[in-house]
Amino acid sequence: MLDHILSVLIFFPALAAVFGFMIQKESMRSYGVAVSVIELALSLWVWFSFDSSISGMQFMEQVPLIPSFGINYILGVDGVSLFIVILAAFFTMIGIASLTDTPNVKNMIITLLFLQMTMVGVFVALDAIVFYVFWELSLVPMLYIIGAWGGPLRIYASVKFFLYTFAGSLVMLVGMLFMAYFFYQATGVWSFAILDWYRLILPESFQLWLFAAFFIGFAIKVPMFPFHTWLPYAHGQAPTIGSVILAAILLKMGTYAFIRFSLPLFPDASVYFMYPIAILAIIMIVYTAMVAYAQKDVKQVVAYSSVSHMGVIILGTFALNVEGISGSIFLMIAHGVVSGALFLLVGVIYDRRHTKMMDQFGGLAHVMPRYATIFGIMLMASVGMPLTINFVGEFLSLLGFYQQSHILTLLAGTAIIVGAIYMLSAYKKMFFGEVTIEENKNLPDVNKRELVALIPLAIITIWLGVYPKPVLEPINNSVEAIVQLMHNKSTTEEAKSRIPNLLKGMEIIKTSTKEAH
Amino acid sequence: MLAPVNVSLESLNLITLAPMLIPIIGALLILVIDIFKVNLHKTIYVVLSLLFLFLDFGSLLDASGVFIQDGTVMGIFDVMLIDGLAILSQLIIVAASMLFIPLALTHKRFHEFSYPEVFALFLFMISGFQFMVATDNLILVFVGLETSSLALYTLIAMHNRDKSFEAAVKYFTMGALAAGFYSFGAMVFYALTGSVEINQIATVLEANGYADIGYVLVGVTFMLASFGFKLSIVPFHTWAPDVYEGSSAAMAGYMSIVPKIAAFVVAMRLFEFLIHSGVVWLEVVLYIFVVVTMTAANIWALIQTDVKRMLAYSSISHAGFVMAAILIGTTQANSALFLYWILFSFTNLGSFSMLWISRQKHLPEYQSSDHSYDKFAGMIKTSPMAAVIMGLFMLSLAGLPPFALFWGKLYMISSAVTSGYTFLALIMALNSAIAGYYYVKLIVYMFMKEPVIGNDGHVYVANATLALKSIIGFAAVGTIFAFLALNPLLEFVTSFVYNSGY
Repeated sequence: MLDHILSVLIFFPALAAVFGFMIQKESMRSYGVAVSVIELALSLWVWFSFDSSISGMQFMEQVPLIPSFGINYILGVDGVSLFIVILAAFFTMIGIASLTDTPNVKNMIITLLFLQMTMVGVFVALDAIVFYVFWELSLVPMLYIIGAWGGPLRIYASVKFFLYTFAGSLVMLVGMLFMAYFFYQATGVWSFAILDWYRLILPESFQLWLFAAFFIGFAIKVPMFPFHTWLPYAHGQAPTIGSVILAAILLKMGTYAFIRFSLPLFPDASVYFMYPIAILAIIMIVYTAMVAYAQKDVKQVVAYSSVSHMGVIILGTFALNVEGISGSIFLMIAHGVVSGALFLLVGVIYDRRHTKMMDQFGGLAHVMPRYATIFGIMLMASVGMPLTINFVGEFLSLLGFYQQSHILTLLAGTAIIVGAIYMLSAYKKMFFGEVTIEENKNLPDVNKRELVALIPLAIITIWLGVYPKPVLEPINNSVEAIVQLMHNKSTTEEAKSRIPNLLKGMEIIKTSTKEAH
Repeated sequence: MLAPVNVSLESLNLITLAPMLIPIIGALLILVIDIFKVNLHKTIYVVLSLLFLFLDFGSLLDASGVFIQDGTVMGIFDVMLIDGLAILSQLIIVAASMLFIPLALTHKRFHEFSYPEVFALFLFMISGFQFMVATDNLILVFVGLETSSLALYTLIAMHNRDKSFEAAVKYFTMGALAAGFYSFGAMVFYALTGSVEINQIATVLEANGYADIGYVLVGVTFMLASFGFKLSIVPFHTWAPDVYEGSSAAMAGYMSIVPKIAAFVVAMRLFEFLIHSGVVWLEVVLYIFVVVTMTAANIWALIQTDVKRMLAYSSISHAGFVMAAILIGTTQANSALFLYWILFSFTNLGSFSMLWISRQKHLPEYQSSDHSYDKFAGMIKTSPMAAVIMGLFMLSLAGLPPFALFWGKLYMISSAVTSGYTFLALIMALNSAIAGYYYVKLIVYMFMKEPVIGNDGHVYVANATLALKSIIGFAAVGTIFAFLALNPLLEFVTSFVYNSGY
């Protein structure tokens, strides 16, 4: 079974979703939890059997799909994707378990299970077209979740989300077709396999255009400034579960794709565009942090802070060295855990008061002490306090970029302080002071079902903040391979010098140890 | 005194006529049955037509076996030309017709299907299309074109609504104009080269090095206008939405597929040699036509309030998209055309059939037209299965993977990329994004809005019988699982197109 574990991971939720139509309405939630627990167990099994000393792909599967056009169903997982897959399984489970009273709960759970299929598919696909299939397919369940269970503007928000992403990814598709054509020209065989593409060295001028085509698709998904306008709407209108999945997993597709496609395929272009992208990322960090400070709706604060932190991930990715990329991957996981948890927490208070306006709260710490504590932990993690999960990722990302540019890193670093300001002021408005509004005096504290979702997240936040090694090590190994590949493939002088040569570094260590002897 | 002409029967190669003769015999048989016994139920005619179409399909498979072995076959004084294009397009025509004809078995009684003549006309029409694609001869193309078009006008009118008469007359007038243009164009080519065979025309024009380029362009202009009408290329598209609206949904779906593939094949035969021999003007004009047709039709589709009209504009846009293949003109592009059209016929027939099973005889007051968007509001609550299937067809039309049409789009855009039409490839991709909006709009209505009061969901399947449901089920399965059949399909299509020299 381990040979086909990735296929099982992808299609088990889909199959379960199809069978879900037969389940009676009242039992649906238990069924959903059961399925997602099995899925999580399977994904943990992958981690358990994963050999973290190997940097390449593991558990590879290959089935020809359209061999005459070079499209094959190829799957594989490495340190980069492994933890995001586990994160996806984990958040689907938590999302379903913490689902509050929703109308049509059966449709919701079936949709979530289909969504899980597409999420896992994106992260384990090693064929560009298969990747694209899952990438696009993930839009449909999300469209439905936002559009059917969202707030008053839900239809506008969901269609905007769909069209924005759809348009971006079609440009990316043209890029993929070009890439396959260049591969065909070079070798005489059609292939969409990413590992095949890794071997292709393109001239810089081609790289720039292709990088741009892929960039549009990925940047809209992340979303990077100035393509971010769909996200606040989507978050604002989506139900809690939609926001959680969107922030924790779906946005990671974009940043993951940068590492899987853009960097190793177009190393010269990545170096060429490093500063423009870094500047965009810093604008994204600073600007959205300031926008977040101006919000009155606590969910929007969390949404903009989530965009802001995505900027740090981009910055780390485009540091183009091992620290930066490893840090950004780690931050993806951290960001998933923390912002997912924050959206869940906002959902908790929304269920009780049916408002998300911060001026409606105040003094909640007296009424809901446990809620205030968990919110406090997550908030500290979100602003990047040491010994929490975000700190590790942010620190490594910034450390990585510091080697490329000191000034830009400094700017990004100050932006994190702005992050602390808006988060703490939001916390102050909601939790401290006197309870002024009558309705808030008798709010029940977090109940068991919510604790089931929140406690594991809090534990992970602190555990990986204190001891990140089990996750960081496999990531690091795979990233080293990617960086070395980028160095070897790069053609310009600039790129050679910007992307470190790890082999040389190792040789220096070896020779220096020899000399020491 | 004329010398007696001796022609041996073998040299006529009568077998090349078999696929066209089968539906003609079928049509005649239906008429004969009607003479002997009137007032037979429509089911017998449906099944008879289906049987003859099966025979037709069988003979085509036979012909494709011959083609694989011996290559292109000529017959009847070299007028018939059975090459890969002819076989492929006939297979599409007959298969789509086989999917269409059971749609006559509706639950409600519709006027047109009570006449046996409808089925006879239908079979005559198919043989007309088959003649059109299986020849190189401009005169026979004309005969096929007119046979099929005249039958089609009558079929539309027989739906027997005010709007259908309007549609039929409109289509007839436009069609007559197109036929005029066609014969004029053919005349110019004959005057230039002394031949009505496309390959002869090509040879002669090649030999004199396009000396009379001005006259060639005149001929091309007329031809372009004529095929523009048939393929509903902007700006010759104005009849299409009205005609689609006036004819029954099933007929509209059929019209969006079968007549167009026939016209595409003739256009491919005629225009591609001209583009390849460097008639730049034609290339430029086609480029403009393709881009404008795709884009403008998409924008018009955005503002429609009736689903059927939306689908009409969307088919125009798809036709423009496929027209790009003729512009690009490589083997990959031509294969993409056939691949696209096969996948498109599944999806589009499916979606029009979904409209057909919800055909109402009397409109409730909240509806402005038979298939207004409001009618589909909240469909997921009242009729979930139908809503999911309709949603599936919409996603496929929008080009969402892994559903059928995505693969067609993928291969078509890839052929543009491969031949250096980068800008065109981008426009094609962005047009798919624009089109996404109006397909998603229907999904939004179906899945996210509340049903209109008084709509209990019965209307969506009011017309459904087992036959209709099986057709839709067939189309849905084909749409979802297209990717499994894609590799053999692609190889089959490519080898046929390649071996016919396109």
